[in-house]
Amino acid sequence: MQPRDLYTKVEDFLSDESFQRWVRFKENHTHWEEWTLESPERAKLVAEARVWVLSMKIEETELSAQEIQRSLQDTWEAIQTQQVQKPIWKMSWFRVAAAVLLVGTAAMTYFLVQKNPAQAVITYKDLVEKDTEGLIEQTNNSNKPQLITLADASSVLLQPKSKLSYPKEFSGNERKVYLSGEAFFEISKNPSKPFYVYANEVVTKVYGTSFRVIAYPSLPNVEVLVRTGKVKVMPNEEIEADTKEGIMLLPNQAARFVRNNLSFEKILDITQDKPLIASTNTIEQLSFEFRDIPVEQIFTTIEQAYLVKIEYPKEKLKDCYMTTSLSDEPLPEKLKIICESLGSDTRYEMNGNQVTIISSGCN
Amino acid sequence: MPLPQKNTEIISDLKLWNQLIADDKAAFSALFEKYLNPLVNYGKTLMPSHEKVKDCVQDVFVDIWLYRHSLSDEVVVKAYLFSSVRKRIARLYERDRIFRQTTPLEDLEFSLKFSIEHSMINDETLELEVRQLNQLLNTLPPRQKETLYLRYHQGLSLEQIAEVLEINHQSVKNLLHRAILHLRKEWKGSISLLLIGGYLAL
Repeated sequence: MQPRDLYTKVEDFLSDESFQRWVRFKENHTHWEEWTLESPERAKLVAEARVWVLSMKIEETELSAQEIQRSLQDTWEAIQTQQVQKPIWKMSWFRVAAAVLLVGTAAMTYFLVQKNPAQAVITYKDLVEKDTEGLIEQTNNSNKPQLITLADASSVLLQPKSKLSYPKEFSGNERKVYLSGEAFFEISKNPSKPFYVYANEVVTKVYGTSFRVIAYPSLPNVEVLVRTGKVKVMPNEEIEADTKEGIMLLPNQAARFVRNNLSFEKILDITQDKPLIASTNTIEQLSFEFRDIPVEQIFTTIEQAYLVKIEYPKEKLKDCYMTTSLSDEPLPEKLKIICESLGSDTRYEMNGNQVTIISSGCN
Repeated sequence: MPLPQKNTEIISDLKLWNQLIADDKAAFSALFEKYLNPLVNYGKTLMPSHEKVKDCVQDVFVDIWLYRHSLSDEVVVKAYLFSSVRKRIARLYERDRIFRQTTPLEDLEFSLKFSIEHSMINDETLELEVRQLNQLLNTLPPRQKETLYLRYHQGLSLEQIAEVLEINHQSVKNLLHRAILHLRKEWKGSISLLLIGGYLAL
């Protein structure tokens, strides 16, 4: 029995590549002919379908291989020209930031290994060792959060006693980072390159939204909170959790992963959950919705949030007011948007924790 | 004439697409070489100027490369390309309308004429039948013709056609169904048994 034995309509034949080939080029001629003759109804249908194919011919011109190459070359040249013309901030339309907060320490991991040797426990060390890309590791031994800017212009605020491993460049189709401790992430949106935060047994996939993940390896739970948009939380594929697919979270929802029985529970309203609301940090409490605010004050807010120092021409910018929404944008994006609104000759430079604004005033 | 696309082909296109997103220039060139001809041919059904159509197709590829990092990694590449070329041409018409004040276009008009595959006809009855159906096909409304073309010549699925024409899946189904039903009804020369002789004479 073949699929074509079930054909009942002319359309079925028209969609069949090999049928078209038979009618147009006599391919598989004997084969189709014999099959057709097996039943009179079939023969009738085939005859009709054949008329359809013959009366639907398309006259097409084909470019030669040479012409195709010339056209390809023109296209690359056009790409070169346009790349030069297009400033980076124009790409910012495609960016929406995502924020993640992850918390964890190593102590409980050890405890869990001791207590439940049969269960899968994944440590930061395991995760980093598995990654074959050359990773950069940053450890925060200070007592203040530390700002890291990733290759894709995402911002990470690494909390004290925490470690983050990340590649210098994000090659391939994914962006992956590994965390031990606590960090607040603001991820630049790139739908074709999802961003993954690996923290112990939990993997958080960012869809370009705003959310918070609290992964306390020192405590029995890992938690993920969503502020806006959509986030996917799933177990690391190495462990046998109660769900393989993970769960999708919407705003004001959270997921709690219980480490000792490897199960997820969904929290439908985070404001009703005390442990979750207790742990917010400075950047999350600050509002980045500005309404007719002096740019000076916006810079102060950014300095507080990211623990950076911003230098700018105070006199020239003293009368500049701004209305803008910078929530969920990573720091480079926030700075770009501000510079863009101030005027075309305004730009910024960032060197570690030092930001310099170069401007001749606002327009 | 390209024939219906197979799943394996959709997958290999997608592989190239993802390599392209990951900055692979060779993958970009491979897709370009593969689709330039089908896209130019499709574009020409909507806009007569060969050179302009080629420019549109090139522009579509320029944008793909420039914005590759914001492209979705889950597309049917062929449908995406067809749809982009269609939009590009529509935009060009829109620009012409504004700057040269040509008549506004409700929608792009599919202007292709179906012709007859004479080389395979060596029977008078068959020839008559084919000619009748061909004439009817060419009197169909442009939208219906375009749907038939995309379905049976470019091998796009109903979902993919819906994406290209920016209408819903059910409308595509209706367009196709209506076209075929109408043709059948009008096609007075009913298929007689004589035609069986026609194909045997192949």
